[in-house]
Amino acid sequence: MIHYIDGPEIMITENDGIFVDAKFYETGETLYELEPRRLFPKSGGNRYVVLLDSEGEQVAVIRNTENLLPESREVIERALDEYYLIPRITKFIKMTDKFRVWMWTAETDHGTLTFEVRNHISTVKPLYDGRVLIKDANDNRYEVPDYRKLDKRSIRMLRPKL
Amino acid sequence: MPEILSNLHCPEQFHRQLDELNADGKVLFAVVGDLTLERRYGESMVCFGEKELWAFNESGTEHFDYSEIKEAESKRMYGNASFAVITHDGKRHKLIRFTYAAASPSDAAADFLNGVIEHGYSRELLYAVENTFRRMRAFCPKCGRKLPTPDSDCLNCKGKSKMVSKFSQYALPYKKGLIICLLLSAITTAAALVPPIITQKMVDIVLPNRDKTMLYQMILILLGVYVVQYVITAFRSYLLRRTGDKIVIALKKDIYEKAQYLPLSFYDKTSTGRVINIINSDTSTIQNFVLKISQEAIVQLFTLVGILIIMLRLNWKLTLFSLVPIPIVVFIGRAFGKQVGPMYLRILRRASSLSGLLTDTIPGVRIIKAFTTEESAINKFDRYCDDWMNEENGIAKMSAIFPAIMTFLVTCGSLIIWFSGGSFIISGSEDFSVGLLVSFVSYASMFYNPVNFFANFGDSYRNTLASAENILEILDAEPEHDFGKNSIPEKIEGKIEFRNVNFSFDRSKKVLSNINLTIEPGDVVGIVGTTGSGKSTLINLIMRYYDDYDGDIFVDGKNLRDIDMQYYRNQIGYVQQEPMMFKDTIFNNIAYGAPNAHVEQIIRAADIANAHGFICRLPDGYDTLLGERGIGLSGGEKQRISIARAVMKNPSILILDEATAAVDSETESLIQQAIERLINGRTTLMIAHRLSTLRKANKIVVVDKGEIIECGTPEELLAMKGKYYKLVEIQSMGEQLQKRKAEEQFE
Repeated sequence: MIHYIDGPEIMITENDGIFVDAKFYETGETLYELEPRRLFPKSGGNRYVVLLDSEGEQVAVIRNTENLLPESREVIERALDEYYLIPRITKFIKMTDKFRVWMWTAETDHGTLTFEVRNHISTVKPLYDGRVLIKDANDNRYEVPDYRKLDKRSIRMLRPKL
Repeated sequence: MPEILSNLHCPEQFHRQLDELNADGKVLFAVVGDLTLERRYGESMVCFGEKELWAFNESGTEHFDYSEIKEAESKRMYGNASFAVITHDGKRHKLIRFTYAAASPSDAAADFLNGVIEHGYSRELLYAVENTFRRMRAFCPKCGRKLPTPDSDCLNCKGKSKMVSKFSQYALPYKKGLIICLLLSAITTAAALVPPIITQKMVDIVLPNRDKTMLYQMILILLGVYVVQYVITAFRSYLLRRTGDKIVIALKKDIYEKAQYLPLSFYDKTSTGRVINIINSDTSTIQNFVLKISQEAIVQLFTLVGILIIMLRLNWKLTLFSLVPIPIVVFIGRAFGKQVGPMYLRILRRASSLSGLLTDTIPGVRIIKAFTTEESAINKFDRYCDDWMNEENGIAKMSAIFPAIMTFLVTCGSLIIWFSGGSFIISGSEDFSVGLLVSFVSYASMFYNPVNFFANFGDSYRNTLASAENILEILDAEPEHDFGKNSIPEKIEGKIEFRNVNFSFDRSKKVLSNINLTIEPGDVVGIVGTTGSGKSTLINLIMRYYDDYDGDIFVDGKNLRDIDMQYYRNQIGYVQQEPMMFKDTIFNNIAYGAPNAHVEQIIRAADIANAHGFICRLPDGYDTLLGERGIGLSGGEKQRISIARAVMKNPSILILDEATAAVDSETESLIQQAIERLINGRTTLMIAHRLSTLRKANKIVVVDKGEIIECGTPEELLAMKGKYYKLVEIQSMGEQLQKRKAEEQFE
């Protein structure tokens, strides 16, 4: 059975980077080195976050990190931020396109980079809310939060691929 | 500075620091990261020696002697990964961070370091790292782009030959037919230029002079011209269509052939619906374009030049007037092309989504009915259609407005001719007659046809470009590399060795980690583990469906990648959980891998597979025609046909992937009998959830989370009381419970 956490019945403290410790008030048990993972990394944000033990077995599922105690929330969200790297593209600088092998240079919230995209139909996924998910040739993920809000030049470059 | 073996070029500042530390000569290899520890894009590096390592990141330099380290950890997270060492005090030291681009070398480095910590440094450990790096360092010498494998062609450079010339090679074998068509076109084009001259003569000479003889002559000439024109046009159309069909069939055949040799990793990322769409629809677009380029474009060019010469000869002033709209036509044509090009790309994407949806839902109609999700399937289809319609609307608007503007401009051209020509006649210009004006107007209208054609050419070019890109996606895709082509061993004995094999479908998650396994010829190996543990992936690697694993697999001591792929796969019998049946007779389904087999061989194979009995009872026997994917047979029956197919192959290595998972106990026992007959004397790998089906196994491999956690004889593993023991316990408890329930119900 899945153990859901709704709110303050758990105290989460920092362990090391992506790991956290959790004290369950109901049982008084404390578990160490748990790994929080998003169950819906693309669509759910910080809703439904599972805690995994060192064997990869699930311990509990937090329905929404917003409902945790503020300190716990801060710790778990920091661990999640540490684990997940989906750079948000804020601007497309250059797209060279040759026989479906694209070299894209983009500005992201983690810096500027150039990456290779192959086969845009399967690796560039536009969503209905304007988000665009991109996977490069090395399987790294990027996100355009809302392509309609990009500058005109970036939109002009990206639109044909959507 | 000597070059260090690394996944990326060593950043110079780190190289210098390494020099300053006098460590340069001690470095065996380095892993270069592309992120800072704070996860900004940047540089970091870990250098590995025989006894120590040096790490360089934005916080400075760190040095560890291997004696301080308890364990190395290469951790894949989401969109990034890290390399850390855990020291004996239990502290984790994160040394570098990187995107998935450096994940494989980091894994290899962790394996190396853990190996050195456990057993001390050895050349073999370094060899495994070098192997991974060799694959990583495959760059095109010309353009520097990363290649999928060291010896593969660079798509980027290979693609430099023009797309048109690439596709025109499909037209070349039919050049004779195309040249004939072209010559015929030249005749019809020349014939089309004659009537206006006749009209001029009629208006200026025949009618004013009331010359009946000349009138009859002119009519006869016109009749002759029309007959020649239309007879030739009919013949040319037929010839052109035949040639066009031949071109498209050649293209389709090539794509289909290429699709057969593409690796499974291609199909992991591309939907089959999309491939079908490319073969069916994009090829027709190319066909039309090749014909357009090789025929119409040339004909229109002839027409354009021919008319221009005639018009200039008739009256050069009027000709210049009639050319006034041309720059505007060309400008609008280019602007239209720029607008509509991206639209075609988008519409192709929508069309591809639609066909992907159809490929999913039509064959899956049983599931849709079972879950009564007809409405949601319809809604989804509606949504996809609407998306397509929206894009199509944009193109429809553009396609409607553009020709209207063009036609308007053309009409304006003829108005200019009427205006200027009419003015010449009214003002009594001597070198201008009514007949000349009438014929000039006819030529001008003919002149604008090719202008219109070339102005619209951009539209069809863009459309074709999108289709061509799709086709090239298959034609230029990296095929399965058969490095060992023609390297055919005398016989496959069936010894299989995995050495330090790591594998991931994409770099986000390792599916197999550090697999080391030896299977002797004739071994019957049971592979057990929970769902998703990596059992089938292990089999996929033995089948050589994927080549891009780290480490090595040896068959009879020879590297699997160096054995002729076709020969090797022919030595393997493969029975799947859900056997694939083709829409053909039972006979042909059994004879699938051996089309020239004698009828009695087929019957014998069916008998060994315990399939002969039920086939005999079918009204059409071996001639029974199966529906798509074997509709008409039960799961167990399909399975036995699949076993018969394997019998026909007489394989050296036999792979049974959950062969009895989906059948009842009675059928299971029939299949089990068949399998036992089949495995005799062959290296056999059996994946099974029901451990009872592994009673013939002399070796059990337990896979968990992509690693081999137990390996040995069933007795050894039971004595270990590990994972296998637990699985056996759970299953025997379950079976006892089921048996008891069945007995209670019986009572």
